[in-house]
Amino acid sequence: MTHPLLSVRGLTKDFQVGTVFSRRRVRAVDDVSFDLPAGRITALVGESGSGKSTIARCLARLEQPSAGQVLLDGEDVLRTERRRASQVYRRKVQMVFQDPFGSLNPVHRIEHFLARALVVHGHPATGEALRELMTTVGLTEDMLQSYPHELSGGQRQRVAIARALAVRPRLILADEPTSMLDVSVRVGVLNLMRRLREERDIAMLYITHDLGSARYLADTTMVMFAGELVEGGDALAVMDAPAHPYTRLLLSAVPDPERAGSYDPVERARLREAILNPTSCPYGDDGTCSRTEPVRHIVGEDDGQPHWVRCHLRAPASDIARRVLKATDDTEKAETTAA
Amino acid sequence: MDSARDEPVLDVRGLRVEYRGDGRSVVGADDVSFSIGAGEVFGLAGESGCGKSTIANAVMRLLKPPAEITAGSIRFQGRDVLALDGRELRAFRWREIAMVFQSAMNSLNPVLTIGEQIGDIFTTHEKLKKRAARERAGELLELVGIDPGRLKAYPHQLSGGMRQRVVIAMAVALRPRLLIMDEPTTALDVVVQQEIMAQIRDLQRELGFSILFITHDMSLMVELSDRMGVMYGGRIVELANAKDLFAKPLHPYTEALMNAFPPLTGPRRELTGLFDAPRTADSCGFHVRCPDDRSDCSANIPDLREVAPGRWVAQSAQGAP
Repeated sequence: MTHPLLSVRGLTKDFQVGTVFSRRRVRAVDDVSFDLPAGRITALVGESGSGKSTIARCLARLEQPSAGQVLLDGEDVLRTERRRASQVYRRKVQMVFQDPFGSLNPVHRIEHFLARALVVHGHPATGEALRELMTTVGLTEDMLQSYPHELSGGQRQRVAIARALAVRPRLILADEPTSMLDVSVRVGVLNLMRRLREERDIAMLYITHDLGSARYLADTTMVMFAGELVEGGDALAVMDAPAHPYTRLLLSAVPDPERAGSYDPVERARLREAILNPTSCPYGDDGTCSRTEPVRHIVGEDDGQPHWVRCHLRAPASDIARRVLKATDDTEKAETTAA
Repeated sequence: MDSARDEPVLDVRGLRVEYRGDGRSVVGADDVSFSIGAGEVFGLAGESGCGKSTIANAVMRLLKPPAEITAGSIRFQGRDVLALDGRELRAFRWREIAMVFQSAMNSLNPVLTIGEQIGDIFTTHEKLKKRAARERAGELLELVGIDPGRLKAYPHQLSGGMRQRVVIAMAVALRPRLLIMDEPTTALDVVVQQEIMAQIRDLQRELGFSILFITHDMSLMVELSDRMGVMYGGRIVELANAKDLFAKPLHPYTEALMNAFPPLTGPRRELTGLFDAPRTADSCGFHVRCPDDRSDCSANIPDLREVAPGRWVAQSAQGAP
């Protein structure tokens, strides 16, 4: 049986917040499952605080998940390497952070970052290897002798990508790699990521709130809201025919002079309320969300990929009936719906 | 105040700013002219280093050596801004023109509560007593849709979007005639960005100030602005009504800037991004990838010419746009 490169099953992460006297838990990621196939770019989109960076940090093993499985090549790494990631895992999974100004130590030359990554993972740090890394990411050799402060944001982000590439990873977790870059260099970094996928067959998890760039770069897009995945599918299909109300809301927030003012903040507040306290969904007047959590429904297929959504409104009629029947608190209504 | 309505609130003419170093100087802005009418939103778009923030800082008189204004004039409601002395400047800033800086949400003092920081404006500029200042601060928070109970909160207890709203509230506290916003939403996600923009529109409707809006995001700018200018290499290369400019850009750089953002609709095609060769003394840096034959401007960016009423584009007399 062939496994996807990385599978995530039931990933959950709670954070403790508050003071000693008023401790509470915040569930940043709630029972999230998805696959990252080899050589594909998967975008994870959502607004700030939706939990997308927490997922990346869990996969990079910078955070310990509260529950769930992370399967690399079919093996549950949370079980086999419980406390911290093994070197084998880190060799396969690398991360590129949002802030290229904070992720490179200012006292070292560029050469140091790349050489160290090579040596730690058992590759000889020859001049040739270093030069090759630099050309791959579109930088010149003489920059090896530069310090981070001498490079622009875009160049620094390229160094961060070269450093990740040095260990020859199979998956790169890119957490908003372009959001702090100037507009003049963003497309260049996106094109570099696409080239790496095409030439080296590297899989990527591309985390962003820029829906346009997700549509541009990704093969698959997943939409995250309030710690849950609400929709996923082919990157073009999700953007062009969004099925979940939140995806539509997110799309309406993207600046576009042709439909200015279509974004409705009241709607977002209602949706957030509905997801965090599922007592009423602003869209379903029959209140099905209050009785059962919506499960995934397939609403279409594009390019061999299912387009799924977690929303009762998109459930096939028979499906609604079955779940409402299961709900125990309102049997009477269940009967009428089933009929 | 009827006469003031016809007269522009801000009028910048032939502004040139140079950053002088040892033996060489870099031009931050060159021959920049524009005006902003009462209640008008004027946008300046361009990539990093194009000079848009230099203009904002010049208008606020915030430029410090090595930056120097070497030519041009800045007039605010008829007054010569460049001639103001230190005392006049103190009264002028914030009361006449206020500014929201880039990543302004990080400009709040982390060890003072929001209430103390907003209250400071009123105790300093309006000589109010502490209690009265606190009351005004509460009203101001309400104006931007934040519960006045949050006056006791420290900045780290607020989200990025809320902090940004606090900063905007502080900027309009003294009812300025002009609000300068330098990339006010760059660090925020699209949802929060929309909410901040809606807030700004509401405030503007209520208080009637003019806005100088600076960003690199053309779509966002067109949504908010009445008129806009596109800057490149320290010069304005196109100036027009925002909707017209977006519908039909006349300068190749404007078009390139619009195409630097992957679109949300249409077929997926390879984008090239902006050419990042720097402008040098003998080339505009952009001419290399100009689609048209613009050999006339390989040495410098031409002056703006009016090609239709209210529509200006940088092109030489014979050059096609």
